[in-house]
Amino acid sequence: MKRTSTPVLEVLSLSKAFGRVTALEGIAMQVFAGQVTALLGDNGAGKSTLIKCLSGFHAPSTGAILLNGTPTRFASPRDAIRQGIATVYQDLAMIPHLSVARNFVLGVEPTRGRGLFRRYDGRAADKTTREGLSRLGIQLRSTTQSVGTLSGGERQSVAIARAVHLGARVLILDEPTSALGVSESAAVLRDIEAARDRGVAVVFITHNVHHAYPVSDRFTILRRGRLLGSFVKEDVSRDQVLEMMAAA
Amino acid sequence: MRLRIAESGVLSGRPVGRHRAVTALLSFALMWCCLPACSPPEHSEEGPDLRVIFVTHGQASDPFWSVVQSGARTAGREVGVRVEYQAPESFDIVTMAQLIDAAVASSPDGLVVSIPDSGALGPSLRGARDAGIPIISINSGSGAAADLGSLVHVGQTEYEAGYAAGQRFADGGVRKALCVNQEVGNLSLDNRCDGFGAALGKAGGVMQILAAELTDPTESQQRIEAALRTDSTIDGLLTLGPTGAIPALHALDEGGHAGRITFATFDASPEILQGIEDDKIQFAIDQQQFMQGYLPVVLHALYLRNENLLAHEVLRTGPGFITAQNVTRLRELTRQGTR
Amino acid sequence: MAKDKRLQGGLIERVLVRPELASVAGVVVVWGFFAFVAGDNGFLSLRGVATYMEVAAELGIVAIAVALLMIGGEFDLSVGSIIGASGMLLTILVVHFGWSLPAAIVVVLVLTGLAGWFNGFLVTRTGLPSFIVTLATLFAFRGLTIGGTRFVIGRTQLGGLQQSQGYDMIRPFLAGDIPIAGVSFPVSIVWWLGLAAIATWVLIKTPFGNWIFATGGDGKAARSVGVPTRRVKVTLFIATALCAALVGIMQSVAFGGADVLRGELREFHAIIVVVIGGTLLTGGYGSAVGAVLGALIFGMVRQGIVFAGVDADWFQVFLGGMLLLAVLVNHAVRRRILRLTT
Repeated sequence: MKRTSTPVLEVLSLSKAFGRVTALEGIAMQVFAGQVTALLGDNGAGKSTLIKCLSGFHAPSTGAILLNGTPTRFASPRDAIRQGIATVYQDLAMIPHLSVARNFVLGVEPTRGRGLFRRYDGRAADKTTREGLSRLGIQLRSTTQSVGTLSGGERQSVAIARAVHLGARVLILDEPTSALGVSESAAVLRDIEAARDRGVAVVFITHNVHHAYPVSDRFTILRRGRLLGSFVKEDVSRDQVLEMMAAA
Repeated sequence: MRLRIAESGVLSGRPVGRHRAVTALLSFALMWCCLPACSPPEHSEEGPDLRVIFVTHGQASDPFWSVVQSGARTAGREVGVRVEYQAPESFDIVTMAQLIDAAVASSPDGLVVSIPDSGALGPSLRGARDAGIPIISINSGSGAAADLGSLVHVGQTEYEAGYAAGQRFADGGVRKALCVNQEVGNLSLDNRCDGFGAALGKAGGVMQILAAELTDPTESQQRIEAALRTDSTIDGLLTLGPTGAIPALHALDEGGHAGRITFATFDASPEILQGIEDDKIQFAIDQQQFMQGYLPVVLHALYLRNENLLAHEVLRTGPGFITAQNVTRLRELTRQGTR
Repeated sequence: MAKDKRLQGGLIERVLVRPELASVAGVVVVWGFFAFVAGDNGFLSLRGVATYMEVAAELGIVAIAVALLMIGGEFDLSVGSIIGASGMLLTILVVHFGWSLPAAIVVVLVLTGLAGWFNGFLVTRTGLPSFIVTLATLFAFRGLTIGGTRFVIGRTQLGGLQQSQGYDMIRPFLAGDIPIAGVSFPVSIVWWLGLAAIATWVLIKTPFGNWIFATGGDGKAARSVGVPTRRVKVTLFIATALCAALVGIMQSVAFGGADVLRGELREFHAIIVVVIGGTLLTGGYGSAVGAVLGALIFGMVRQGIVFAGVDADWFQVFLGGMLLLAVLVNHAVRRRILRLTT
């Protein structure tokens, strides 16, 4: 499980200030392929600022983001997506009125025909969606139902499957389980493991240690904009993580 | 629709949707049911044998046109003709042409139209003629009426009326006057301003046109006030109807120009007559539009029932002048909505 | 847990969430009403059909484009002013400056396309609500038309297009008549239905259509997965302006001239028709077919009132009533699609 290869994504002494307010300072973090890295911290610890830096919404004030060992700057969220970093936000990047399949292929729609007759290929979109979902073991009644009819957990699952399908190397999940019930949380955690098993580097942001601990390989804990510590699962027990969270 | 939505409510196990749909349907049904009830009570004792449709460019909300409508209704009652009245919600020549088309397709016995743009309404009026429906034109379009197949035009010739107003202004010593046009695009109103300007120009005066907002008196007032404030040499003001006259009256009052500026207007309304009585308005040009509603109905009835046709091409209902001398009697009549 | 109570998406269910459903019912109800009240007054005659189809077509051409724009999440209140501007500009170029009609049409389309681009540019760059931005251009374009016309020709109304070069060649395509059983149907109906077919194809059968829905449904989310939402919106604004210009040009050619007030209130009529057709005011959901049906309802009511012999004063009451009803039905439909618990 432990890997010594280069991290897919690495953050080095990153700081972010908004005017005179410092939101993050001296953050370091490593994310490896085929692992789940939990980013833990209470409300206001700076988790969302950090992921916005990682997904191209904010540029860090100082410090560096390394992608496969190379320093990188993201010009925009689109740029980050292009470079293989997919983010699934709490409020979900899904269009409620569109069908699951049309959401799944949004922005990369399959087409048939040429020239004037080039047209959206609903059958191919449907097939892609089914394959993408089943790859992570996700079951849905139909891919033609609108996303608005899905439960919160189902939407998370579809969003994760879409990110994996689009070839994300790093998948950032922002509080994916915070609004879900017990069984739905379990389903989403299974999806996280499935994505990890496919070699994706998952960043799992949460304040729920009970959700994070079983599926995560590494823990990075933030507290008031500073790094409290990074740990490998072997070196730390669930209670120790809980204690650090409580202290924070 | 009701059936389907109710069905769906059952399907999804949510009776709420059905309740809503029924409420919506009821309000819809209610709306439609009131439609026949709203139609004018023309079906009197015997029931009129003739049906005449008016299609004009003026809205019933305009005080001027409500008098036309009242004239038409009075005549309809008196001579036993069913009168219907159609007009677009705002000055809109395209909609007006389409309303004429619909009126023609409903095969009335007679058609009464105003012709603010003969080019645009020409095809529709030719359609009426081809369908064998007699047309009488009123108000605007005296010049083109005969060519478009109108039996007779009942109205005021606009250029001459404007010219008459200009002469009165020039006689009163006005050098620079504003012509407030509240219906920009209506050729007849442009003609009034043109005639007005021509008469002033002949006496060595100047005329300027000011466009006003037909539907917004406050804005019209502010625009007139601003125009008077920026040019203090203006000593005359002509408005082309009550919708322009009333804001102008307020503008003169609030700007303190009353008395200094010669002010006259086309058409009469209670406020305008009060203004004449108070000496704030020098005169009003009255085209006696009640007759423009009344006479066509009578003329249609005479033509249709008795083959009577006037020898006049244009039956002139104006210009008449309302001044301090005859205003008192007219005020009473205006209150009744017939002047 | 939500899975248990959900049923298979059968045919009935799929029909019920179609945006056009309410307007189909509306067409039937309105037609039935006037057939009953005014059937013997000519509403059912072919000539009657032609008059309401003409009204529906001229509004419908604009409404189809407005529907796509509204699905994309934006409004355009300037379409009425663009109808007026395009017709007047065309007439001035041809009659006053002696251009040939085809050349003037090309120039008018280019300029109105630019006006649409300007609307889109302002909306996407400033991030201001399009309602406000196009409300501003509504007045600006109208004022420019009135002021410019008065400046150039000193009048507010101009005719004489019939004598222009190329008129006889162009007229059949833009303002011609198609005789059916002795009644002439305006060619605008063909444009209307043709554009509806194209718009429907774009919406359902192209990636761009998917982007329109996504842009209006949740612009942020769409952008985050790489949909060029700005480009989508600007394109829709341009298409809307071009459709408005087409109507302005058609009317000028049909009437042989223009006045500066053409097209007033059309922006609101178009929005009303689109909403009656089931498109959500909030964007992300709707159809071009719905806009076609909405325009048909509008035409039937507008003209049906004449056949029924009811005074025009009441037209606006019905229009308002129908709008309210359509919004109520759409609200119910939206809740069905999103299955929000009450």
